Amino acid sequence: MKFMVVDDSMVIREKIENILKDENFEIVGTAQNGLEALEQFKALKPRVMTLDITMPLMDGIETIEKIMEIDSEVRILVVSALADKTTLIRAMHLGAYGFLCKPFRDIELVDAIEELIEDIV
Amino acid sequence: MKEKSLSVFVDGLTNYFDTVSPLKAKVSTPFLIQDINEYLFDFTGIIGISGNHKGSIFFSAPRIMMVKLISEVSAQTTRDDKLLDLVGEVSNTLSGNARREFGDQFMLTTPITFMGKSQHMRVSDVTNIYVVPVMWQNMKAHLIINLNEE
Repeated sequence: MKFMVVDDSMVIREKIENILKDENFEIVGTAQNGLEALEQFKALKPRVMTLDITMPLMDGIETIEKIMEIDSEVRILVVSALADKTTLIRAMHLGAYGFLCKPFRDIELVDAIEELIEDIV
Repeated sequence: MKEKSLSVFVDGLTNYFDTVSPLKAKVSTPFLIQDINEYLFDFTGIIGISGNHKGSIFFSAPRIMMVKLISEVSAQTTRDDKLLDLVGEVSNTLSGNARREFGDQFMLTTPITFMGKSQHMRVSDVTNIYVVPVMWQNMKAHLIINLNEE
């Protein structure tokens, strides 16, 4: 199953990549903002994404909207420090499948991903 | 800024270090300052705040602490670009978590990061600037909160 990691922090991208690789997931792309994510999404067609919200150029909320227009089957896990209910509800309403608040422990990411894909593996 | 709002940031700092590291951090009592520059360490991340609050939030830490912290968060490195990235991410995380209390109108910019002191650091129209000291593994960092509530 193809995974993509989107976050404006290089350190967090690497952290998420390393956790997913340790769990034998296939990372096909990484991006540091929504615009890059869209370009890569069209080319790489990942099945699952982790997506930050606060990013330059295009934020995570707009990215969810645009990605859903391309492929509404993609599973998106929002991984963000924004801890308010409005952001969570908006992301889920637009099509995100799950929400993990930063900071997070490795096991919390693994659990969230497993829950996200349990019916498609 | 109301003093009781500081507890949001104190709790956020404690939670951050508790989550990323098995070693607990000790957050000390916040205090008022006038000159931010005196409280900056080697690496600083700043988040601009607008909406229902206006101002900025800084997280500043010495290099030795950032090197240790990045080994807990991701992987061991001493690269400046990665340490700057992490200090920005910490400031973003602490600011973003505060939206649990302040709501979605507590609006954040993406982080600005820099090394050393900034000679051009000026804050205006702010009554109270607070420093929240945090000790972790015998190293001290500062969360600096420079906010006006609307």
